[in-house]
Amino acid sequence: MLEKRFGYRLDVLALIAVIVVVTLISRLGYLQVVQGKYYGNLADGNRIRLIPIMAPRGIFYDRNGVALVSNRPGFTISLVPISGPIQEEVINKLSGILGMSIDEIKTKVNNQAGVFEPIRIKTDVGQDVVTRIEEHRAELPGVVIEIQPIRNYVNNELGAHLFGYVSEINDVELAASKDKGYRSGDIIGKFGLEKVYDQDIRGVDGGRQVEVDVTGRPIQELGKKDPQPGNNLMMTIDYRIQKAAEMAIDEQLQVLQTKLGRRNAKAAAAVVMNPKTGEILAMVSRPAFNPNLFAGGISTKDWKTINDNPFNPMDNKAISGMYPPGSTFKIITGTAALELGKVTPEEKILDTGKHWIIPKGNDAGEALGWIDFKVAMAKSDNVYFYEMGNRLGIDNLENYARMFGLGDYTGINLPGEADGLVANRRYKEKVYGEDWYLSETFDAAIGQGFQLVTPLQVAMVMSEIANGGHRYRPYLISKITAPSGEPIKLFGAEEVGNVKISDRTLTLIREALSDVTHEGGTAGAVFNDFPITIAGKTGTAENPHGDDHAWFACYAPYDDPQVVVVVVVEQGGYGTEASAPIAKKILEAAFNINQPPTENAKTNYPNSAL
Amino acid sequence: MLSRRLLKNLDFTIIIVTAVLILISLVIIGSATHINNPSQERYWFVERQGMFALANIVIVFILLHFDYKSLGKYANLLYAVNLIMLMAVMFVGQSALGAQRWIQIGPISLQPSEFSKIIMIISLAHMLDKRSGKLNTFKEIIPVFIYVGVPFLLVLKQPDLGTALVFLAILFGMIFVAGINLKHLGAIGLAGAALMPIFWHFLKDYQKKRLTVFLDPNIDPLGSGYHIIQSKIAIGSGMLFGKGLFGGTQSQLNFLPENHTDFIFAVIGEELGFIGASIVLLLYFLLLYRSVKVAGEARDNFGMLLATGISSMLMFHLLVNVGMTAGIMPVTGIPLPLMSYGVSALTTNMVCIGILLNIYMRRQKIMF
Repeated sequence: MLEKRFGYRLDVLALIAVIVVVTLISRLGYLQVVQGKYYGNLADGNRIRLIPIMAPRGIFYDRNGVALVSNRPGFTISLVPISGPIQEEVINKLSGILGMSIDEIKTKVNNQAGVFEPIRIKTDVGQDVVTRIEEHRAELPGVVIEIQPIRNYVNNELGAHLFGYVSEINDVELAASKDKGYRSGDIIGKFGLEKVYDQDIRGVDGGRQVEVDVTGRPIQELGKKDPQPGNNLMMTIDYRIQKAAEMAIDEQLQVLQTKLGRRNAKAAAAVVMNPKTGEILAMVSRPAFNPNLFAGGISTKDWKTINDNPFNPMDNKAISGMYPPGSTFKIITGTAALELGKVTPEEKILDTGKHWIIPKGNDAGEALGWIDFKVAMAKSDNVYFYEMGNRLGIDNLENYARMFGLGDYTGINLPGEADGLVANRRYKEKVYGEDWYLSETFDAAIGQGFQLVTPLQVAMVMSEIANGGHRYRPYLISKITAPSGEPIKLFGAEEVGNVKISDRTLTLIREALSDVTHEGGTAGAVFNDFPITIAGKTGTAENPHGDDHAWFACYAPYDDPQVVVVVVVEQGGYGTEASAPIAKKILEAAFNINQPPTENAKTNYPNSAL
Repeated sequence: MLSRRLLKNLDFTIIIVTAVLILISLVIIGSATHINNPSQERYWFVERQGMFALANIVIVFILLHFDYKSLGKYANLLYAVNLIMLMAVMFVGQSALGAQRWIQIGPISLQPSEFSKIIMIISLAHMLDKRSGKLNTFKEIIPVFIYVGVPFLLVLKQPDLGTALVFLAILFGMIFVAGINLKHLGAIGLAGAALMPIFWHFLKDYQKKRLTVFLDPNIDPLGSGYHIIQSKIAIGSGMLFGKGLFGGTQSQLNFLPENHTDFIFAVIGEELGFIGASIVLLLYFLLLYRSVKVAGEARDNFGMLLATGISSMLMFHLLVNVGMTAGIMPVTGIPLPLMSYGVSALTTNMVCIGILLNIYMRRQKIMF
């Protein structure tokens, strides 16, 4: 046992315990009670600003890894609210430097009143503005220059309708998606893939915790949380084909307007897809817009230019434009007639220039005499297909159109798709309160009258002929990957429906479509020298408001269909003349024919530092 | 089975205080970690800590069946195991924050330096048992210092400055109570102070920074001073009544890192306020007071020294950990006893509590 003379030492130990606890409680008292208010303010944000650091959005790559949408650094001018209201003087000065009206700045400030976060006044300002603000630092308390990632659409207009654009979240959107973690001032996708995949590609913003003095100037940084970049999108788009399609359309519109007298040929759309999977290889809509204009907040002038254009640059006409399918619909009429035994491939019908029941005829009034199915298709004879309509009746036509997927959304992963219209009795009854007339069946059989389709739907029909009746959901994204490259979501072919067509009928239709692009066919002149056999159909859709809309739809190669191309030129006139040449150039790019040897896929490396 | 007499002699104050502290810690760990965890695993840390607490209760209960006296028999073996273990860390250990401290065994990463604290206490108690009252000359004192010095240097080499300092606290607490000549103790203290500059020279840069930065955290607010600033803001902003459980804003954007391990007291301060934090400190005082009491009532010298070592260790941990979160002690990576998340530390501390119970339970000499 311990000797008694050391017993007091345990009391000393106990005393030390008392001292330790008293010291600690005193320290807590000092921090929490005496200085509690100070630290409370620090934590509450009276003197601490949380300056968000925007996460860079995910990068869009084409199917070969070419970056199409990335980010670049830009300067943003913000106001950090100081203890009192923001001084009038500061706003006046800022208005001069930024070239914004005082009211515009005040609106932004008022929208965010009461929040201790910086108010973004102007994004993506130039170096000159930054320099001027730096020079006047002393007179601009609370003005902060931040570096933020700005969305960069590498090729400007190219693919604009696919990518969409981003801009600041508005009140309506904020109210609708607050529970998804969106905050005021956030940059969100407003259109196209930017909108559809916003949640996937937006990343997670970080922030800097900064202590500011009474004038709102940051004194010191207290904490920092790095932003997490968004996920990347691997697109099914082929940059080479997309570029070729855009250039071909632009050139052709130019030719049509200046050389062929189609003054109003200013809008067009094209779809290129893989008939075996539904992958979209290219999609174009004209007129287009430059999404870069929106990235830093679009100017009133630019917005007015876009808004005043009567051809609606913001519409993706490939999926939302509804046109009468014209003669491209003859594929459906023909399939229905053959499948239902209303006609045999061998039967010949006499075209005297006009149908014998209702005197409707061919466009130019020509008479082709006794013709069978293949000739009628190759030469796009109206009288023959009026008769097919006559034999089928509107209900059978409607049925087959729906089986091919017309009148319904294709389900592509883009916003704003239109469903089109299949001519039918109920529609007429509902809208006009009238019975159905035979002449309307005639119109329907050649894709006129009530029939309305989108270019994408026509591409679906063409794909079904090419692949034997399978309807695959068209899609634009093959893979979503984390910034590390690790795949997060994979997308593939998804069959959403099918149309049963006998092999005999399929073969006949395919042969007839091949005849279209050969000597004697409606598009023979365009494709007679083409090294790959293709199957296609022209269409010229009547337009009561101006020149006819020009269609051309095809797939290639004939034996082993790999691409489907559909082109429509609004008010372009004849399909052969206006649209087929565009399709030809697209096919050349797709199969690497007549390509300039220097034309390599331009590789844009992603701006991954942001 | 334990006899009724032994059970009656259990120190229920220690048991209750320990249980309350562990329960509070589970709630606080939940509060500190739930925000940063994905929803399915929201309470992963709490479940894990709770599970190990239950397992430790069983272990402690089993250990109560054996007289603590038998620990003396294994003292030398434990001492050897300790040295091997500390050397093993150097070769197979995993680094965390620039220091090799972990050994991975299956799903559990063990921190040998935590266990070495308790081994240190047992082996030193065994050594001093025979030397009590005979620590009057340097010739008698120096072997004790060598005995502690070897594991001390091994821990320092890891480098684990915190644990090394805990060794010193244990050493001084025990030799003080063992009756070291106070003049010699004073001389050793002076010599230690004189050697400080040399010791300083051997520290790693980040250790030097940690030791100095708490005097003025703002010299490096995003580096070494970061924890201290954030922790002080957390505690201070708790004010008198706290922000309520799960209401700590400092955790929101994860501005206070390590908030479930070394900095758990900052969360207590922020969410429970001055009143709550003081109550927690008073619970610790009760525990410390009782453990010193156990030392005083131990039936033999070995038991007294064991309890003294444990008291010294707990006291030092409390002072340095809470002091660190409150900005009056440097950041050294010393956990808060019984409360910080961590399997190794929790096990060590609960075994210590078990030993205290064991000593107190057997305080009366058995009369035949």
